[in-house]
Amino acid sequence: MMKEHPPQEKTVEVRQSAGKSFLFALPMMLLTLMMMLGGRIPSDPQQLFVFAVTYLFFNVLFFLMLHTGKTDRYRAIAFITFSLLFVVSFVSHMFEARGSMSLSHEKIILCEVPFCHLVIPMTLIPAAFTKTIIFPGMITGGFASIASMFVIWIGASLSMGRGWCSWGCFFGGLDDAFSRILKKPLLRKINPRWTYLPWAVLLAIVLTAAAFLSPTYCTWLCPFKTVTEFQAVTSFKILVQTIIFVSLFIALVIVLPLLTKRRIQCSLFCPFGPMQALTNRINVFDVRIDPDICTNCKRCVKACPTLSITEESVRAGRTLMSCMKCGTCVDVCPSGAAAFHVRGTPVEENRNMKRLLFLYVAFLFLATFSAGMIQDGLSRIIRLITTGSMI
Amino acid sequence: MQGFVLGLSSGAVCAAYCAPVLVPYLLGEGRSVLQNFSALLQFLLGRLLGYLSFAVFAWGIHTSLPQDIVHRNLLIGAAYVILSGLLIFYSFFKAGRACPSAGGQGIDHWLRDSRPSLFLLSMGLATGLNFCPPFLLAVATAAEQASLLQSVLFFLTFFLGTSVFLIPAPFLGLLRGFYALHVIGKMAAGLIGAYYLFIGATMLAGGFFR
Repeated sequence: MMKEHPPQEKTVEVRQSAGKSFLFALPMMLLTLMMMLGGRIPSDPQQLFVFAVTYLFFNVLFFLMLHTGKTDRYRAIAFITFSLLFVVSFVSHMFEARGSMSLSHEKIILCEVPFCHLVIPMTLIPAAFTKTIIFPGMITGGFASIASMFVIWIGASLSMGRGWCSWGCFFGGLDDAFSRILKKPLLRKINPRWTYLPWAVLLAIVLTAAAFLSPTYCTWLCPFKTVTEFQAVTSFKILVQTIIFVSLFIALVIVLPLLTKRRIQCSLFCPFGPMQALTNRINVFDVRIDPDICTNCKRCVKACPTLSITEESVRAGRTLMSCMKCGTCVDVCPSGAAAFHVRGTPVEENRNMKRLLFLYVAFLFLATFSAGMIQDGLSRIIRLITTGSMI
Repeated sequence: MQGFVLGLSSGAVCAAYCAPVLVPYLLGEGRSVLQNFSALLQFLLGRLLGYLSFAVFAWGIHTSLPQDIVHRNLLIGAAYVILSGLLIFYSFFKAGRACPSAGGQGIDHWLRDSRPSLFLLSMGLATGLNFCPPFLLAVATAAEQASLLQSVLFFLTFFLGTSVFLIPAPFLGLLRGFYALHVIGKMAAGLIGAYYLFIGATMLAGGFFR
């Protein structure tokens, strides 16, 4: 049984000196340079400027992660920036290509709808039984093709498991941002049974998608259509669908995260999350709580934005399967008991090295995956300032 | 024999149409495999009643109702509304219900607990009246039968052929040890019920709102 006593000095020090942090950050600087350049230095001065800003942005954040020992604080800055600039970039792209954010029937029939990872759970059963992808997107080529999203998803799942939801998902940063606005939550009590809701949404959409061969979640529920694209309102049915997804966006992405300081959409509704949680089982990284160091202060339980730590799980020395590896618990733990961990290794050994290993994988993924969209978003903001138009 | 083969060849689609109703129920109940088989039989009996009533109807009118869009939408819409009512009722009013914020328990003991067969029969009947693609084929063929007996026999054998694909469903009982699945099943039933409610309502509106 763990003793409860006041927080003390961190038993395990994760801060590094500036010199050591710089040395550890050096490989990341080279890797991000290589991945972001893609073998070509931008010739346009504005593009070069945007590239330099993005490159510095990521590498300064990574250096600070190593130097201060704080993970979530700097991850959140990169992750939220990614989501916001993704919206800027995507919406501008839609206006450029179609003249509006709405999808016409013509574009749906032509299969020109960008594919996102949230559709993946619905496509698996119909693809297995009918060899059909039930989404009007392009298999290869074009903008956000189905094949490219599948490849990115498989890569992310193998490398980070559900870490995708905190390091890779271009929507997740939105409710993450709103959950950080207030200093203290106004709504504290959340019935733990609500954590089953994403599984129920997953079950419902998988079954209905298989029955009707239609991506039910995209058609009816996806709140993120509010900030990306949506079907043009041409009928009563589409009007109702529009009211539903806008209401869900306001409730799940803005209001509830604001009031609870939790990532409500990601942890209590998104059907992709439970499927991704299953990949946590096969992923090499997880978060562990060392019972020998833990002071049972419960800060991690209170702070976890995804309700992935309970008192029982603390006693068991681990997080729940739904853990998104955001690093909040690692940051708030006063004794350093919560730490990133590599499966199959002793919890108490080489903690800094294991954290570094995870950060290399997760941060490199985030930087590589988001850099293009961040650069495009920045370019469009500069264009807006200089020309008055984003497109 | 033709009905049975048609049922076998298109049964996977039938199973896909029945799964959104049956799977959440079986998961939510958390019963053993044997009890689930009993539940499946009750559900199938309801579905058979739906099929046979259609056999009589199809033979009686000697025409393919599916081509009559207005009446087809009315019937399917009504079936969806009934299904949605049953699913939402199941999700919200069962003792130890799924929705943490739902309040009140009323007539549930009468309809759900004391008469489970009535509940499953109703779900089976409403599912049986749905026009899934294989069912449309069966209706079209049954309408061409010479006698009422032939039409009924055709639907009976079609029903047997499609039912084969539902045999794995009771094995969900192997997962009954996971308490979380009981809650998830009931929550999913509510969500699917809400989805069916809107589909049914728009169909009943008969295209007025479309």
